[in-house]
Amino acid sequence: MLKYLKSVALGALVCSAFSAAGFAQGDVDKGKKVFNKCKACHMVGDKAKNKSGPELNELFGRAAGSKDGFKYSKAMLAKGEDGLVWNEETLNAFLTKPKAFVKGTKMSFAGIKKQKDMDNLLAYLGTFSTAEVQAPVAEQDDVSDDANAPAVTTQTNVAASAAEVPEHGVFHLGRVATDDEIAAWDFDVRPDGMGLPNGRGTVADGEEVFVEKCASCHGDFGEGVGRWPVLAGGQNSLQNERPVKTIGSYWPYLSTVYDYVQRAMPFGEAASLTDDETYAITAYLLYLNDIVDDEEFELSKENFLTVEMPNTANFYADDREDEPQYSVSADPCMNECKVGPVEITKRAQVLDVTPDQE
Amino acid sequence: MSKKSMLRSAKGRNDHPDNGRRAFLKNGLVAGGAAALGAAAAGAAQAAGENVILQKQDWRTYLGDGVDARPYGTPSAHEAHVIRRNVEWLTADPVSSVSFTPLHELDGIITPNGVCFERHHGGIAEIDPTAHRLMIHGLVDTPLVFTLEDLKRFPRENKVYFLECAANSGMEWRGAQLNGVQFTHGMIHNVMYTGIKLRHVLEEAGIKPNGKWLLVEGGDASAMTRSIPIEKALNDCMIAFKMNGEALRPEQGYPMRLVVPGWEGNMWIKWLRRIEVGDQPWHQREETSKYTDLMPDGRARRFSWQMDVKSVITSPSPQAPVTHGKGRTVISGLAWSGAGKISRVDVSVDGGRNWRSARIDGPSLSRSVHRFYLDIDWNGEPLYLQSRAMDEYRNVQPTKDALRAVRGVNSIYHNNGIQTWYVAKDGVTENVEVS
Ligand code: HEC
Ligand code: HEC
Repeated sequence: MLKYLKSVALGALVCSAFSAAGFAQGDVDKGKKVFNKCKACHMVGDKAKNKSGPELNELFGRAAGSKDGFKYSKAMLAKGEDGLVWNEETLNAFLTKPKAFVKGTKMSFAGIKKQKDMDNLLAYLGTFSTAEVQAPVAEQDDVSDDANAPAVTTQTNVAASAAEVPEHGVFHLGRVATDDEIAAWDFDVRPDGMGLPNGRGTVADGEEVFVEKCASCHGDFGEGVGRWPVLAGGQNSLQNERPVKTIGSYWPYLSTVYDYVQRAMPFGEAASLTDDETYAITAYLLYLNDIVDDEEFELSKENFLTVEMPNTANFYADDREDEPQYSVSADPCMNECKVGPVEITKRAQVLDVTPDQE
Repeated sequence: MSKKSMLRSAKGRNDHPDNGRRAFLKNGLVAGGAAALGAAAAGAAQAAGENVILQKQDWRTYLGDGVDARPYGTPSAHEAHVIRRNVEWLTADPVSSVSFTPLHELDGIITPNGVCFERHHGGIAEIDPTAHRLMIHGLVDTPLVFTLEDLKRFPRENKVYFLECAANSGMEWRGAQLNGVQFTHGMIHNVMYTGIKLRHVLEEAGIKPNGKWLLVEGGDASAMTRSIPIEKALNDCMIAFKMNGEALRPEQGYPMRLVVPGWEGNMWIKWLRRIEVGDQPWHQREETSKYTDLMPDGRARRFSWQMDVKSVITSPSPQAPVTHGKGRTVISGLAWSGAGKISRVDVSVDGGRNWRSARIDGPSLSRSVHRFYLDIDWNGEPLYLQSRAMDEYRNVQPTKDALRAVRGVNSIYHNNGIQTWYVAKDGVTENVEVS
C-alpha cells in the first residue's frame, strides 16, 4: 500500500504546489521510466545521495554545480558561477545535448532525443522539487505520441500470415525470421572473428571516446573510480594474494572486449556506440594494458585477429572431478572423525561487515 | 486495479516496517539476551495467566477486511522483515548487484516468488510481453521468431529446480565473513517452473549437423549472454514462463527465462530473446572475465558449469538464534546437488567430530533443494553445528579447508564447503570456522 499511497500523495502535491499547467504536459509515471537512463549515476527521493552524479532532489531552482559534497567539473562550476539555474528551459537544453550546453561537463550522457521523453522526465524530476516550475510549451497531441512510440510488430500482423500453417519443424509454430530481423539482433563477436563488422579506430580516437563516455566510472586510464570495475593493469598479479583481473592481465580473447563493450557499455546507455567507436575504444584498452604501445595503432576488422592476448593459454577445462575430495569413494566418517576439542579459528564478528537488519 | 499497481501495492506492503519483531531480533543479536528475554516473558505470564488469553483481542471483536481489499494477497504485516536484502559494499551500484533470499525465515523446499534472490547486470527489464520475441538462428534449417503465445502452444512440463549463483558463499573463501545464512548462502532459490522443452524449440528450427553450441541472450540492458553446449540444451533445458504457478516475476526474467537444471545461475538467461546456434563457444565476458575459477598457480578453470553437492543449516543460524533456551530444538536446513538427488544429510553438533544422519522431509527431486531436520534435546551447552550432504552419485560435501587446499582462496565461485554455526549458551549464533 505504501507505494500506492505515495503516488496518490505525490499527485496531490503536484496539484497544490505547482501550477496545474506546469505538469499537464508530462506524465510522471512515464518520466520515471525515462529516469532509468540516469539511475546509474543519479538518485532522487528519500534516500538520495550523490553517486557518480549529484543527487537530483530540489533540482528546480538550484544553481548548477551547487550540490554540497559533489565534485563537479570546472565547466559545471563555472556555469553555476555565471548564474545558470536549473529550470524547465535550462534542463531541456542541457539534457538534450549535455556536452554542447556545458562544454567540458563530465556527465557522460549522450542526451534525450525525444521531446515527449523530456517532458515526462522533467515532470518526474519535478515531483522531487518544491520550487515552481515553468510550464513547457511543447504541443500535446496523442497522435504524435503514438508516432513516437517504438514500432512494435503486434500479434495481429503475424496472425494474418499464420492463417496457413507453416511448413517447418514438428509443431509448425513460430514464423520465419527475416534477414533484417536477424541482422538487427545478431551482433555478437567470437574469438575466430565471426561477427566482426567493418570498421576501424585508432588508440588516439579511442582515448577521446573513452574519456567522454567511460572515464566517469572506469577512470581516464581504466584504473576504476571508486568501486567501478578496473579495466587495465594487474599484469603478473594472478598468483598474488590479491589478484587484479583485467583485460590485460586475465581476459583470454580480444573479441570479448569488442563484444562486451558494444553489448553492455556505457552502463546506462548500452548499445549506443558505433562500430568505429567500438574499434577505437578496444584499441585504447589494448594501449592502456600495454598490449600495443603506439598511439597511432589502428584496430580494424582486417587486423583484429593478429592481436595476441597475454593470458590466452592459461585457461583449462573444468576438472573438479579429479580433485581429491571428490575422488574418495569411502563412506564419510561418522564417529570420532577429528581429534582434540573444538576450537573456533575464524569468526564473522571480527570483521563485522554484515549489513544491519534495520 | 491494474496488474502493475497490484504488484506495486504488494511491494509497498513488504516495505512496511514491523519494528517490534525486528527490534527483538536485533536486540537478541547484539545484546545476546534473546534466550533470557524469551524465558522471562513466558515466566511472568504464567503467574496470573497470559493477557493475550485473558483480554479480548481487537481481531476477536471487529470485522476485518473484505474479499475486495486484497486482490493480490501479501504476507502478514508481522512478516515484513522476511525480505530480500543486499550488501551495499559488495558492488559499486545496486543496478548491477545482488539481493539475497531470507533462507533463515523459510521452510519446506519452495521459495516464495517475492523473496527469490536477484542478480541483475543492468537492472530489472520491464518488458511488455506483446513486444517481446524469441529469435532462433545461426546453424539451423529455418531461422524462426516466436511470440510468448506461440511458445505456449508447445507441450508443457512442470519441474522443481534450484537455481544457485556460482558465487554463492563466494565471500567466505578467506574465512567467516558475513553473519547470516541469508548472506552466506542466500544466492539460491527453488521454485516450480512451468514451461516447454528447449529441445522442442530447437527442433522446430532444425539444428544443422555442425551445430554444437548455443549462444543464449537476454533482452535487458546488459544483453546477458552465455554459451551452452548442445548436449545440455537437448537434454533437460527449458524455456519457462511461469514460476510457482504464476507468471515469472520481472526480477526473474518476465516474460520468459532459460532453465538450465543443476548448472550455475548465470546461465539461466532472463528476459530470453535470442538463441544462436554455432559450431564453437563464444567466450563471452561472463565465461572469461567472470565465472572462471582462478587457481593458485595463476591458471583458471573455465566452463565449470555444474553446481556441487552442498548443504547448510538455516535455523538456528545467526539471523535465527535459539530464543527458547534448552530443551527440544529443531535443527533445520537445506541440501542440494547439481548432479541429482540428495541421498543423505549428516549433522554434527560438535564441529565435525561426530555425525548423525538427519531426516529428509518433503519431496526428493533431482536438482531441487531437499529439506532436512534433526530434532534434538539441547542441553544448553555451546553447539558447533555443521551439515554435510551426499548426493545419489556419492559426491560428498567437502570441508572448506579441503577446498582451499586445492583451490586456494581466489577462485570466487563454487564454494560448497561445510558451514559451521556456533550457538552460544544464550542461543546467540555466529558464523565461525573451527579446528
Ligand atoms: C554516466 C553517468 C551519468 C548519467 C547516465 C547521467 N548523468 Fe547527470 N551528471 C553526471 C555527472 C558526473 C554530473 C556532474 C557534471 C559536471 O560536474 O560536469 C551530472 C550532472 C547533472 C546535472 C546537473 C546537476 C547539478 O547539480 O548541477 C543534472 C541536472 C543532471 N546531471 C541530470 C541528469 C539526467 C536527468 C540524466 C538522465 C537523463 C543524467 N543526468 C544522466 C553523470 C551522469
Ligand atoms: C556509469 C558507470 C559506467 C560507465 C559510464 C561505463 N561503465 Fe563499463 N562497467 C560499469 C559496470 C557497473 C560494470 C560491471 C557490470 C556488470 O558486471 O554487471 C562495467 C564493466 C565493464 C567492463 C568489463 C569489466 C570486467 O572486468 O569484466 C568493460 C570492459 C567496460 N565496462 C568498458 C566500458 C567502456 C568501454 C565504457 C565506455 C564506452 C564504459 N565501460 C562505461 C560501469 C560503467
